[in-house]
Parts: sequence; C-alpha cells; structure tokens
Amino acid sequence: MTIPLLSVKTASVNFGAFRALTDVSFDVDAGELVALIGPNGAGKTTLLNVLSGEITPQTGSVQFDGQTITGEAPHDVVARGLARTFQAAEPFQNMSVRENVMVGGVALHRMGLLSSMIGRGTAVLDQGRLRREADEHLAAVGLADLADQQASILTAGQRRLLSIARVLASGARMLVLDEPGAGLNELEKRALGDIILSLSRTGKTVLFIDHDMPLVSRLARRILVLDQGRIIADGEPADVRRNPRVLDAYLGRRDVAQEAPKVIRAVTSPLLEIGGLGVKYGGLLALDSVSLGVGRGEIVALVGANGAGKSSLLRAIAGVEPCSAEKLTFGQRDLRGVTADRRVASGISLVPEGRALFGSLTVLQNLAAGRYALRRARGFHHVVWRDSAERSAFERRLETVYQLFPVLQERADQLAGTLSGGQQQMVAIGRALMGEPKLLMLDEPSLGLAPQVLIEILRCVERLRDQGLTILLVEQNVSAALSIADRGYVLAGGRVIAEGAGRTLLQDRGLTEAYLGSSESEADDAGPGRDVVAVNGG
Amino acid sequence: MMRWRILALAAAALLACAATGNGYIISLLVVIGLQALPAMGLALIAGFTGQISLGHAAFYGLGAYGAALIGRWLGVPAWVDIALSTAMVALLAWAIGWLVFRLKGHYLAMATLAFGIIVQICFTEMHGVTGGQDGLTGIPPLSLFGLTFRSDAAMLAVVWLVAIAAILAAQNLVASPTGLAMRAIAENEVTARSVGNDVQSIKRLIMMVSGAFCALGGGLYAHYIGYLSPGPFDVGFSIKLLLMVAIGGFADVWGVLLGVIFITLIGELLKPLGAYDIVAYGTLLVVSVIYCPNGLLRGMAALVARARRTAIAGSTR
Repeated sequence: MTIPLLSVKTASVNFGAFRALTDVSFDVDAGELVALIGPNGAGKTTLLNVLSGEITPQTGSVQFDGQTITGEAPHDVVARGLARTFQAAEPFQNMSVRENVMVGGVALHRMGLLSSMIGRGTAVLDQGRLRREADEHLAAVGLADLADQQASILTAGQRRLLSIARVLASGARMLVLDEPGAGLNELEKRALGDIILSLSRTGKTVLFIDHDMPLVSRLARRILVLDQGRIIADGEPADVRRNPRVLDAYLGRRDVAQEAPKVIRAVTSPLLEIGGLGVKYGGLLALDSVSLGVGRGEIVALVGANGAGKSSLLRAIAGVEPCSAEKLTFGQRDLRGVTADRRVASGISLVPEGRALFGSLTVLQNLAAGRYALRRARGFHHVVWRDSAERSAFERRLETVYQLFPVLQERADQLAGTLSGGQQQMVAIGRALMGEPKLLMLDEPSLGLAPQVLIEILRCVERLRDQGLTILLVEQNVSAALSIADRGYVLAGGRVIAEGAGRTLLQDRGLTEAYLGSSESEADDAGPGRDVVAVNGG
Repeated sequence: MMRWRILALAAAALLACAATGNGYIISLLVVIGLQALPAMGLALIAGFTGQISLGHAAFYGLGAYGAALIGRWLGVPAWVDIALSTAMVALLAWAIGWLVFRLKGHYLAMATLAFGIIVQICFTEMHGVTGGQDGLTGIPPLSLFGLTFRSDAAMLAVVWLVAIAAILAAQNLVASPTGLAMRAIAENEVTARSVGNDVQSIKRLIMMVSGAFCALGGGLYAHYIGYLSPGPFDVGFSIKLLLMVAIGGFADVWGVLLGVIFITLIGELLKPLGAYDIVAYGTLLVVSVIYCPNGLLRGMAALVARARRTAIAGSTR
C-alpha cells in the first residue's frame, strides 16, 4: 500500500461554542481528482483553511506527502507543494495578466535582497525562468493571448483561470480550488472543466469545492460530502447522489414534512409582482428575467442551490442591489427607482443573511433602529424628536415583538453581540417587525442554528402569517421551508425553473435536480467530454 | 534605455546647477539629495509595499544623531560612523517592523506615528546624550581617504552619488521578483501569501531597507550641517516625506525624486508663511491624493493632454 499524498486525521475546529469541523478524516492519493460538496455552512471553506495552514485545528492532524503539516504557516505549506485558490478570485488589478502569474513563482525562485538590489532580479523577471514559466502556465489555462493585458479587464471566468495559473506557478503538486465554477455560465464552466481535467492528466492532484453538480459529476471520480462539520459520504458520484444521508443534508429530512397536512389557501390579491427582473454583478448575470408574484397573507418560499440567485432576488426587491425589471410593483406602487430606505418605509423589510445586527448596541436599541426608515420618511423632524403618537406606536410594536419572542424582553438591555445565534435571529426578525412591514423577507434564518431553533423560528413565521403578514422566505432547509409555505419557487442559475404549492413542490423531481443534478444530464455531458468516459472505463 | 537617459539628464542638470557657482542653488541641491534618501525609503514601504508609515522622520533622526554620537564616542572617521549608524537603524527598523506589521491600515498609521513621536521626545528629553533642545554641536565635516568635504560643492557630489546609488538600488529591487511580491502584498496580502510568499518577512525586510535609506540620509545630513537639534525630525517632517511620495505617485522611483524637488522648492516659496506652511502642505497632500492618485506630475500630464485634445477638437470644428 502506498502512502496517500494528503491525509487528514480526526481534525476538529471550534469557533467558540460553534463546532465548525468534527473529527474529519480522509485521504487523497496522488493523482486523484476529488470534489468536496456540502450545503451552506457545512464547513467546506474551514476545511480548506485547515489544509492550507490558515487555521490550525484544535485536535487532529494533516499530513502531506508523509510529513505532518499541522500548524505550519501558509507559505511553508505552499513550499511543500500544496496550494489553494480562493472563492473570490480577485486578480491583482494593477498588474498585467502575466505579472499576476509571475507573483505565484516568486517564492519558488527565491532571490536574496542584496542580489535584487544590485540588479540581478530584473533578468529573472523579464527574460528569465519566471516569465517563461508564467507563459507556460497561461498557455495551460488558455489565457496566453491575454498575457500583456491589464488583469482588471478579465471576465469572471478568466479570473478563475488566472488564479489557477497563479497557483500552478507556485510549483504545487496538489491544487485545492475553492468553488472554481461559482457564477460562471455553462460555456465557461465547460472550459474550466476541460482545464481541470487536463491538469489532472498531467499528474496534478486536485481537490475542489463546487455546488454545480453536473460539473462535479463530470470531473470527479470521487466525491466527499461534508455536512455540519462531518464527512457524511465518500464515494463515486452515482453512489453519493443516491445516498439518503446526502439527500437529507441537502433537502432536510423529508419524513418530517409529512406530519402536518397543509390546507392550500385560495389565491389572494397580489401584494408583490415582479416581471423580467435581472441582476448583474460586473459581467456576471446573477438573475435572468425572473418573474414571480407574492399574494397578500401568503408564505412564499424561494429555494435552490447555492448561487442560484435567491439572496440577490431578495436584495433586489429590498432595493439594496441595483436591478433592471420590466415590472416591480408593491401594492399599487411602482418600486422601480425607489431607494432602499423608502421601500422599507412603504412596508418591505429584509432580514438579511447573517442577521447584520449592531453587535455593540443593546437588544432594545437594535429593535428601535428598525423604526428609523419609517420615521425618516415622515420628515426629518421625526428623526430628532419622538412625538406622542410615535411613542405609543413604538410601545405597541415592542409589545407585539415581545409577545412573539418573550426572551427578548428579558434580554432587552443585553448587548446584541453577546446573544446566542437563535436569539440574534429573533432580534433581527424583531427589528424588521418594528418597521411595521407588510412584506417580511427572511434570508436563511436557520444559518448556523440547531434544528430545534429553526423549528421554533419557523413556528413564529407561521404565526406572523396568521396575523396577516406576507412572508417571502429563503431557507436552505428546503423541507422545513416548503412544509410551512403556501407556495414555492425553485431557482436555478438565476431563473425560475419550477413553481407550485409547497408540499407538491417537495415531491418534484426538478427540486432534487436543482440541488444534486440529474442522472440524465450526466449522460448528455458524456458526448463532448468523451475523455471522462475513457478515464472512467480505464 | 530609459533608465540611463534619466540618469544622464539628472547628472547634466546637477552639473549645470553646480557650474553656476550660486551658493544658494547648490545648498538647495544638497538638501534635495539628502531628503531624496528618506523619501525613497518611504516610497519602498508605503508606495510599493502598501504599508503606511507616519514615523519615518524618526529613522532619519536616529541616523543623524546615531552618526554624530558614534563619531564622538568612538572617535572613528565620519564615513565609519555613518555606516555603523545606518546598520543599527536598519536593525531597529526590522525590529519595529516585527512589532507593527501585525497591524494594518489606520492602526498601522497610528503605531508608526506613535513611534515617531516617542523618538522625537527622546531627542528632546535625553539632555545628557542628545543635548536636548540645545542640540549637538561641533559635528566634524565628512572626510574620506584624508579628503575633507568642507565646501557645499564637494558635499553636493558625495550626497548625490549616494542618492543616485540608492535610487538605482531601489529601482533594481522594485524590478526584481521581490518587487513583484511587494506589489502583490500592497494589493492583496491573502492572495500573495496563498502562493507561498512569506508576507510578514518581506514587509520586515523592506522596512529594514527603508530604515537604512533614511539613516544614510540622516548621517550625511549630520555631517553636512554640523549641528543637530530635535526640531527637523518631528512628525511634520514625516508628513512632508509622505507628501513627497504622494506627489511622486507612490509607486514610481523617479517620480519620488521629482516629489522631493517639488516639495523643497515649494518649501522655499512658503518660507514667508512661517509656521503656517504646514497648512499648505496638508492642503497639498489632500488635493494630490484625491485628484492625482498617480502623482502630481502624471496628473498634470493627463490634464495637459486633455486640454490639447479639447483644443484640437475646438480647432477642427
């Protein structure tokens, strides 16, 4: 038996009370091409940070090429031959594309300070090895034509390729890629896939994170699945996709959803109507002509894989993300061109992902901040002076919030930053409710919370709906979300691919495909990517 | 080659100025040469590596006091005490880098500012060593191989030889792989580290070179002026150095020299303002950083180019 190139043994990482990784163990042999997948917050990026030396695990060890590298500084880990890319593949904007790659080789071709100062460095940089190697690596990722261009002009896809070329220049034997395909279109993903496969064929060992299951199934012969800090599956793509634990991790436990039969409500008059909405990040199309409606008094769930555009949609509705739309009305009002604070004042509240509390303010101060937009909209003097009407309205709202979350009344004077995750989520929802919203948008309320806390929060959401509030919910625990939702929309690649009543959507095949890819699409992929089949057959 | 052309141009300009025999012009040129050294040092760390420092006057001052005191205590020739003092300040700068580079941005600026103030206070308060406000007097002029450089013209040659050597060394450094790593660190430390660069070590090394440049300028200054007091090494001088680097466009070796010339000449014009000159420097710093992020020279060149285009467009109409 040969020694594996990379070996992680019972690695655990805690951030305070939060267990990001628990007893993670796996091996990667030289020359393997392995994918690491898992839902949001599963600990994938933490695991990458452990491999690259950014984080030292509290227990356990990492071995590379037979040597223990736990606790070594990142640059030492790179020197051993393990290098990584980052999710946000920002190039060095003030450098040319070639210089970007040459940065990767500086540490490999180390040069003393004195020889640099007497001018021996110029030769290495401009004519020597560093430049020649950079050109080779650029050719390997197909960017050779752009070598002399400024890196700031590159598209999102080219930036990913550039970061791969830079990592290659460091002389690494094992590449660890953090979401190389995120945000790329199908064409770019195909090109990226070809390049990763060709790197693998030249003998590089590759471990990559991605959410795009067709890409993952096309590239990887082995998939590791991480959920809540534990490896829950490790095997061939087909087996992993059938693994019930993986389905549960992505979609939540579906048997729970069977409990309460749901009465489908009659369709009510629409409160929010969206037609042909698009959002762009630079050259990246995050949302592509999305159309949907939310009726008064409904809970509507938006579900879809990471990067499908769920949060972007909420942010576009809230007005914090610029968007183009053919139609965007709230009640009777056209929202296009209305600023975010005015939208809050007219009754749209967003509880953002990660809660965004004011950690150094008390719970009560956080709640009071939720009324600011409403008061500002009435005129500036309402901001500096609370009249009696505002004072009584404030007390009434506060009373409603405290009824919903009694724990907040007990903790009113505690700093919000010192609360537990679940209580922070309650403050965030309470803050939004203080602004007297008609439409409440929740972005991933369960992020980082224990399942019981999620159930408690979703119960509150249902109670709010029963009080007449309209709710638009984005939630990674799809079963839980769809089980309380009246209707749901499934987003994939910035488009709505399915819609329907919550419970029926849960049984929809399109939903599983949106998260885990379909077995048919893999067969389609086999045509152009013939080499994959050959590798698999051999 | 571009570099040799600039070098020849600089040498010709220097010779032309020296040939006028005008004492005022020559002493101004010596001052420019002396200040070019710390300004170049600051450009390496603040401009190219992106690590702000508001305490570089301290390294300049330590180099000056160090050279004077070593010369007095050990009785060694002037060039030896400059070399020793430079080496010590370089070590100190490395150690300061070890201390402050765990900070970033504003915090780094505050820490280096504090360092500058501490050193300045030491100069003022350590009467027994530095002479306090009365200063150190009787520092002998520079001498080399039995030659004593008493005249300004002789100092002009020495100072500018050292300054140009330092600028060329800085240029070589910037054009080397290390220079590429410096620019990478200035833009994104995390990415620079992820491909194997020991970011902290590179920052400390550049801080060391930067401190050495400052101390070299300070030592020459001590032997040129012959008298040291704490005044010229205050925070105001640190700001002035930063201004020179900003005017020069932060990451531009020859631009820094132009920045030094520009600020020194402006300083002469502002003499009638007395202590209020710092107000003018502050305004200049704000304006140049906001409107000419690539340096005043390039900013003005862009402005001229635009004016010419508008003029051409106007004439063709």
